[in-house]
Amino acid sequence: MSRVSASTGLRGAADAAPTPSASQQALPFVESAPPVKPLFCTPTPVQRLWFCIWLPGLPLEASRSSEGATAVIEEQQGIHRVLLADRQAEAAGVMAGQSANAALALLPTLQLEERSLLREQQALEALAGWLERFSSFVCIAGRDLLLLEIAGSLRLFGGLRPLREKISKGLRQHGFDASLAIAPTPLGATWLARAGRRVCIRAAQNLKRELRHLPLASLNWPEGIYASLTGMGVINIGDCLRLPREGFVRRFGAQYMLELDRALGNLPDPRNAWRAPERFCTDYEMTEETSDRELLLNICHELLLLHEQFLLARQLGTQRLSFSFFHLKGSATELRLGCARADRSAERWLELLRIRFNKLVLPVPVIAARLQSGMTQALQAESARLNFHTTAAGEARRYSIAQLAERLIARIGDQSVHSTTLVAEHRPQYAWRTQSLLSDWGSSTLSEARRHLRRPLWMLPEPVLLPADSGYPLHQGGRIRLLDGPERLETGWWDEEGISRDYYMAVNPAGIRLWIFRNRKRSSSWYLHGYFG
Amino acid sequence: MSSSLDKLLENPRVWRGHHHAQRKAGLASGYPELDRYLPGGGWPPEALTEILTEQYGIGELRLLMPALARLSAEDPQSDCSEPGWIAWVAPPFQPYPPALQQSGIDLSRMLIVRPRDASEILWSAEQALSSGTCAAVLFWAEMLDDQASRRLQLAAEKGHSWAIAFRPMTARQQPSAAALRLELHSSAQGTRVHILKSRGGRPTVLNNLLNLSHHPA
Repeated sequence: MSRVSASTGLRGAADAAPTPSASQQALPFVESAPPVKPLFCTPTPVQRLWFCIWLPGLPLEASRSSEGATAVIEEQQGIHRVLLADRQAEAAGVMAGQSANAALALLPTLQLEERSLLREQQALEALAGWLERFSSFVCIAGRDLLLLEIAGSLRLFGGLRPLREKISKGLRQHGFDASLAIAPTPLGATWLARAGRRVCIRAAQNLKRELRHLPLASLNWPEGIYASLTGMGVINIGDCLRLPREGFVRRFGAQYMLELDRALGNLPDPRNAWRAPERFCTDYEMTEETSDRELLLNICHELLLLHEQFLLARQLGTQRLSFSFFHLKGSATELRLGCARADRSAERWLELLRIRFNKLVLPVPVIAARLQSGMTQALQAESARLNFHTTAAGEARRYSIAQLAERLIARIGDQSVHSTTLVAEHRPQYAWRTQSLLSDWGSSTLSEARRHLRRPLWMLPEPVLLPADSGYPLHQGGRIRLLDGPERLETGWWDEEGISRDYYMAVNPAGIRLWIFRNRKRSSSWYLHGYFG
Repeated sequence: MSSSLDKLLENPRVWRGHHHAQRKAGLASGYPELDRYLPGGGWPPEALTEILTEQYGIGELRLLMPALARLSAEDPQSDCSEPGWIAWVAPPFQPYPPALQQSGIDLSRMLIVRPRDASEILWSAEQALSSGTCAAVLFWAEMLDDQASRRLQLAAEKGHSWAIAFRPMTARQQPSAAALRLELHSSAQGTRVHILKSRGGRPTVLNNLLNLSHHPA
């Protein structure tokens, strides 16, 4: 086979990834000479070393919110199943694949956490940000995989062993249980880490020998391919490599042959480095203190224009901004702004700022101002609507609901502006929830109305105890007449707030229609819960 | 005799209520009896409607629901690609979402705003009205002077939105720029709707509009 000999020739072109610097890259050779010295003085191929961190427990580690036995659940075909359980839960018999109810039956104190891919991604990005101190090339290679190119970092950290120690200690401190492996190719390192081999291969020549013994399961190939390979008696990578190339490509596709070639270092495997998201932070310092609000607003406008340029060059936008006004004495005055959709337009931010700035109290004159952007995100451009018949309403639409919400929130606060959505729940007080207009901009999850239920248009925040006259409930001093009912709601026994109530539609002497109930268990007193409006 | 009357009527200084009737069709209220008395056959669109009531829970929302549901529903006839939002500014209690959905309101297009003081209520209502995204804005205002009602009336015209102000009965004596003012009185028999002022229409009392048994289709 000519593959092995070809590999050395290709290595120079391998890995299009940028690495720290030429002087640093040569360093590993200082510590220990490469096993085989080239006979001829050809330019030394760039030696790379990939450090793979595989986090099999990431779903659990990212969502753990409390002490005690925890399991992460995920919906599979309509059933919530356990995806991962921690040691405590496993000791009680909770296993991956169990239904959530079965797990709860085994361990009633089990904390169930819904899997959140967003939180996992955030945890991974936070980890990648931390790992940037060890290498200039960190790569998020999958949902639970991180790759570092460490050949350039070995001397700085005093060799491979101390570096490895540092990283593995740091991971433990961050609360992650990771499987680590080091190999000259990124895929090789990945497979070794997935197989749980805590190995460190530095020379490309040794890689093939080590990979040979890996089971196919560590390759993360689709189930079908795995099954047919096993059916053919192919159980590890070595068996795979012995298969005829052409037949393998025809049967399974070139993609998997490419993966094998990349893992062995026969073909280049370029990766993209991950970069921590950039933020904008700029100060504007004045020569003398001022309390002139118009002037300050102009300064803010200037900062916003700089901010816009910064984001424009990167095609980014942000949802949050914060201004700080510094005084000679005392702490700075902060002003935070939020908007519904990521934006960079200085004019729009200025408009929001004006609303808030009018109410801002500046105790003493200001000497400097700072603008700091929140998390930046790629800006989604919106195409204009193709509308030939411009209607009157279309012309009148001055701004979108998002902009309206931003303006309202800027003046009266985040908590006071919201939309609502329904929740599938029988208890009246839990049958709905508020929804922030800035974050989860979703539509109602429960679309079909339950028409047979009589529900009041006005709901009281808390049920109000009604006075009674010899068993008859009174409202505004008069006896209540029952019109319709009872509707029995007996539910929620599984948590602290179970109810057992008989609801009635009633009318008071003044003609106000009420929604009242009587607790079936504790007492016979009557409560008012809403008005039919 | 008739010619002198005609002459008098030709005088531009003579103002006749019926001629001033709105050209725009009203927003059908879902109560045919009420529509008959409203100029344009329904709620005045793009204008301020005032509802004076002493108490809540006497049918003040039921009166509006059919029209709000129609505004909330997708209208395939209109060129406007999406229906407007319904904003509730400073409601006295929680508008209960399950009941609203039963009445045909699209909850995903409902905005609830709870300002802290009276001036913020008016500011929020004006913002929502003039934004052009809200098909209807309901707000509960204790204080609404002549000038403020004029501003809101203008905002409603500008944003092509229907403004509904709920006010206490004491506001009856105050002047208002509203296109329509209703008064609701409740009694054991039901709620009486009294049209106090209707631009282009006549004051009336409707006795049996909101009976206990009556549920609009």
